[in-house]
Amino acid sequence: MFRATALLVMLTAAAAPAGELAVFPPAITLTGPKASQQVLVVEVASGRTVADHAAAKFTSSDPKVAVVNEAGVVTPTGNGKATITAAANGKTATAAVTVAAFDKPAVWSFNRHVQPTLTRTGCNSGACHGALAGKGGFKLSLRGYDPDADHFALTRQAAGRRTDTAEPAASLVLMKATRKLSHGGGSRFDADSDHYALLRDWIAAGAPGPDSAEPTLSKIEAFPPAALLKPKDTLRVVVRATYSDGTAADVTRWARFTSTEETVAAVSEDGQVTVAAPGETAVAVVFGTRVATATVTVPHPNAVDPEVFADSPKHNLIDEHVLRKLRLLNLPPSPPCTDAEFVRRAYLDACGVLPKPDEVAAFVSDTAADKRAKLADKLLSKPEFVDYWAHRWSDLLLVSTRKLSQQSMLGFYRKVRSAVADNEPWDRFARDVLTASGSTLSNGGGNYFVLHKDVTDLVESTAVTFLGTSITCCRCHNHPLEKWTQDQYWGLANLFSRVGIKNGDRAGEQYVFGQPTGDALHPRKGVAMPPTPLDGKPLTADSADRREYFVQWLTAPDNPYFARAIVNRIWKNYMGRGLVEAEDDLRDTNPPTNRELLDALAAEFVKAKFDTRHLMRMILTSAAYQRSANPVPGNEADDRFYSRYLLRRLSAEVILDAYSDVTGTPTPFETIAVGASGGTAKSALYPTGTRAVQLPDSLLVSQFLDSFGRAERGLTCSCEVTKDASVTQALHLNNGQTLNDKLRGEKSIVGRWLKADTPNPAVVEELFETALGRGPTKQERQKFLKPLAEASKLGPQARREALEDAVWAVLTSKEFLFNH
Amino acid sequence: MIRLDAPRPVRFCDGLTRRDFLYAGAVPALGLTLAEVQSATADAPKPDADVNCIFIFLVGGPSQLDTFDPKPDAPAEVRGPFSPIDTKAPGVRVTEIFPKLAAHADKFSLVRSMYHTATAVHDTGHQMMQTGRLFSGGVEHPHMGSVLGYLKGGRGELPAHVLLPRPIGRTGGNLPHGHTAGYLGKPHDPFILNADPSTPNFKVPDLLPPEYLTPQRADRRQKLRDAVDGGLTAFEKSDAAKQMDDNFALAYKLMSSEKARAAFDLSKEPDKVRERYGKTRFGQSCLMARRLIEAGVRFVTVNMFETVFDEVTWDIHGSRPFTDITEMAKQVAPNFDQGLSTLLDDLSQRGLLKTTMVVATGEFGRTPKINPAGGRDHHPGVWSLLMGGGPLKGGTVVGESDEHAYAPKTRPLTTGEFAATVYRGLGIDYHKELPGPQGRPIPITDYGVKAIEELF
Repeated sequence: MFRATALLVMLTAAAAPAGELAVFPPAITLTGPKASQQVLVVEVASGRTVADHAAAKFTSSDPKVAVVNEAGVVTPTGNGKATITAAANGKTATAAVTVAAFDKPAVWSFNRHVQPTLTRTGCNSGACHGALAGKGGFKLSLRGYDPDADHFALTRQAAGRRTDTAEPAASLVLMKATRKLSHGGGSRFDADSDHYALLRDWIAAGAPGPDSAEPTLSKIEAFPPAALLKPKDTLRVVVRATYSDGTAADVTRWARFTSTEETVAAVSEDGQVTVAAPGETAVAVVFGTRVATATVTVPHPNAVDPEVFADSPKHNLIDEHVLRKLRLLNLPPSPPCTDAEFVRRAYLDACGVLPKPDEVAAFVSDTAADKRAKLADKLLSKPEFVDYWAHRWSDLLLVSTRKLSQQSMLGFYRKVRSAVADNEPWDRFARDVLTASGSTLSNGGGNYFVLHKDVTDLVESTAVTFLGTSITCCRCHNHPLEKWTQDQYWGLANLFSRVGIKNGDRAGEQYVFGQPTGDALHPRKGVAMPPTPLDGKPLTADSADRREYFVQWLTAPDNPYFARAIVNRIWKNYMGRGLVEAEDDLRDTNPPTNRELLDALAAEFVKAKFDTRHLMRMILTSAAYQRSANPVPGNEADDRFYSRYLLRRLSAEVILDAYSDVTGTPTPFETIAVGASGGTAKSALYPTGTRAVQLPDSLLVSQFLDSFGRAERGLTCSCEVTKDASVTQALHLNNGQTLNDKLRGEKSIVGRWLKADTPNPAVVEELFETALGRGPTKQERQKFLKPLAEASKLGPQARREALEDAVWAVLTSKEFLFNH
Repeated sequence: MIRLDAPRPVRFCDGLTRRDFLYAGAVPALGLTLAEVQSATADAPKPDADVNCIFIFLVGGPSQLDTFDPKPDAPAEVRGPFSPIDTKAPGVRVTEIFPKLAAHADKFSLVRSMYHTATAVHDTGHQMMQTGRLFSGGVEHPHMGSVLGYLKGGRGELPAHVLLPRPIGRTGGNLPHGHTAGYLGKPHDPFILNADPSTPNFKVPDLLPPEYLTPQRADRRQKLRDAVDGGLTAFEKSDAAKQMDDNFALAYKLMSSEKARAAFDLSKEPDKVRERYGKTRFGQSCLMARRLIEAGVRFVTVNMFETVFDEVTWDIHGSRPFTDITEMAKQVAPNFDQGLSTLLDDLSQRGLLKTTMVVATGEFGRTPKINPAGGRDHHPGVWSLLMGGGPLKGGTVVGESDEHAYAPKTRPLTTGEFAATVYRGLGIDYHKELPGPQGRPIPITDYGVKAIEELF
């Protein structure tokens, strides 16, 4: 039996593990007389910070080199080396300080100091002067992506009144930001603040402009990188920037902090973290065009016997990583699910169909030890598997007559479907689509370029589809939350600037071809950026088809995005929640809930030559996938670390097909939407019996699919499919035609029971087994048989109605509509 | 529906999180008003008075010259066949084709300087008047009623936003019309009647059970549904499962609650009242709009027509299949005049006009010069609209068109400014950001756009 339940006790006071005292950053460099560094004194255990000693005592070994104040801010006093010693809790720790260029005059730099100040104080934010049209006649580039234009606006426009070098305090930027003059944006900082002093001194120094010879930002680091805390703990985060000349500087006061899980811990704009509840969050730090994160882990206050984790089944590498995380967070795993639960769950997740009662029975009665692994193999080779995944990838690639001719849509679908059927490796599939040339009818992948004719659409859709990330922000400005820049966007765009499309000879046919010339121009700079795949190397020797170069970079084994993106999508399909959510929002400031697991799965996927079925088999056979959906005491609140199988509503198509199967009445797909404004036409393409998941097109009229949320296939975004429950759905199931007509049909399961004169008890058994993969409980049997018996006495019509109601009830129950 | 179970905050470009939006939407349920949690901006609306809106879309685009902006001094080929008449509002004149509305002109104001610069097809105007924006880049903006529903949720058993009788269909441009919740997602789409309330045996599809589903059967279905309990404790901890059950409960309440059923049941109205509104699709839609507002719906959109092709509408090109000025005055105007004037009167008598804005507008105006077919063509250069009720003044006119009603002469007003005015009337900070596609924050109306303050 499962042992965690008995051993769980609430800890009254979680004792922080004793650790070593440490100083962050461990080595301090101060360049120039104006430099300073906030140091943190923390306790570290097993690589994670467990306490922040804000009240530590500091001393400097040489006050002629550097001094440190009570708050832990180190400032230079002369060139040389010194040691800062911090004492707390009876322990001490040290950090080395190196001071350089103390004797050189320091002027605040436009790029390194002024722009970050304008960003930090919100002046160039999207709601203020960073708006496309500026504000109040004063326009800055959003978060400072265009320093030259910003310097011009600050020093030349408005008759130079914004910055007054003769009388800095009279500068409009200072008067307005401190509200000495009326300012629509309110007060941005006080006259005695560091921000004010910096801008004033910069103006007094002649308001020098951006210096292109200046070292550029190479990276930023957040300290501490990882912390293990408990509710109500606080922690300061400091940020250090490193520049291309190797110098480093404390940029904490200019950085922007956000917490990915504010319910776990919030972070103030100064980088002060306050823990609220158990869980894990990443404190994301943005400075300039670089990002960093500090992970804050807050274990649940459960006492779980370590043996629970040690004894929990481990089937493959997934379980090692999941259990390690659960152990860190004190989350006890739920026990394995039953065989009946597993067979229903696995059929639905892998193939989108319910197992038939005899398939359930055969699986449950099978005594083989490896029967779950065998079932996984069986499912991955079923024809329904091909239907289901062809549909999923068609959602991803927007296969539809929305923009494609019927012939092209079918050509595209055939390409997707055959890739699934042949288990084409994901890298090959990506290559086939992204380098497709020739007729869109015979080489359906080429329709990808017909769908995304505009180069910006093409670049952005490709990033979401194959890299699982959105770079749309960078079309017009540097990404405000990520490292991607506008230059990188247009470098990437230039790899797709030589795709041509022309009409073919046959109806609906188009030809996709590579062109020898053509560049995508950076809209602000008006020039073509060197064709470069995001953070890859620029294409040097121009080839006939630049797409080839992109695909080489994309599908290279060491591409950090390609494998992770598809692994995350597949993981979400089976596990109910992506390691990264949303499933196509992979970015540094949105880290996975289990980074080690995602890394390991991506590495395994690459090692297996991008074999999606191999990955699916691993997931299906893992103990993590096979856990019960029922919580055990201590893991009720967990919805992301996989301590139990996560409930999820079935997709619109799967429910509709299951309705057809259980009731024995297929869904007609005879009308198709034409055009965007609501016209319809008859379609004879899909014969009776075509399943929703087999539809290659997304425009077949179906009130059911619309209300339960299908992908419209208009926009490359997982947000297209919503599984949100709405009243319309409930109303449709109650009163609409879809389900009621299936029940009332003469050939429905109800009609069959009546014709065969099946007695009520047998009806109830069959109903539960067909729909839920289990027999009725004693109580359910009673509650169903009573009204059936009463109605049967009133005559055949009354019985028929009661039978319809019984089937309706089971088919609208949560147990039916959810996978569990 | 407002979701309180957002799994995690999603980042937007400006550091706002999806949770921020959700909080803003959820707070009224906790007893605070939306206005109290909104950041103070220069345009902060007055504290939320819980104002409703009936938005009447005059599909086809009425001619400004022949309706609300008569130009008696213009040449005959411009001024058209109708004479101006005085109204109850001193100094405000409309043409003689609206005698009944004229008697209620104290209840609404006119804006005579609306214009847009997008392509002169119906569809663009439909988008812009229902969402405040022209769609571009694949982004579909949400209808004003869906934004209201998103921010405030439904009242009691009824949906927040109802669309009568059907969405606008084919109007030639082959573009979306802007009646959906767009990027806010399907849960915020309007509840669409999808039926003609003037038909003899009118029933709302899906809202009321089909005839064969008697109350006894509906009750038996709910009981049997509740009886399915395989002992999965997982459902007890699942917000999604709970929401599913809540929706079934709400649907059952809707279909079985006397109040909700009654709201959609026009047979509950005395024949005399039904006659007053006019026994047309439009008249009965206006009546249903009043019943829905009374029952708690926040926003009702009434499309006067569903298409411009198979009906006689405001789209008076003169040539077939369209109608001309004269036929419009005979067939379309009286229907509108009667339905809207009765609605204004009825709302006023029931004390609902104070809390309910009424807006009537087309998607553009018509060309001043009458064409050889005796009609007028598309002209987004200027048009007039009507709005009143709620916090809006009655009896005034904002903006004027030039002497031939060709372009605004004073106070040119955009569709964004119109939307901002509706939002302002609804007590919504119209510069608040909504979660757009791919995490991009989109302000409800563009920064810099301001409501038409003269109307308040």
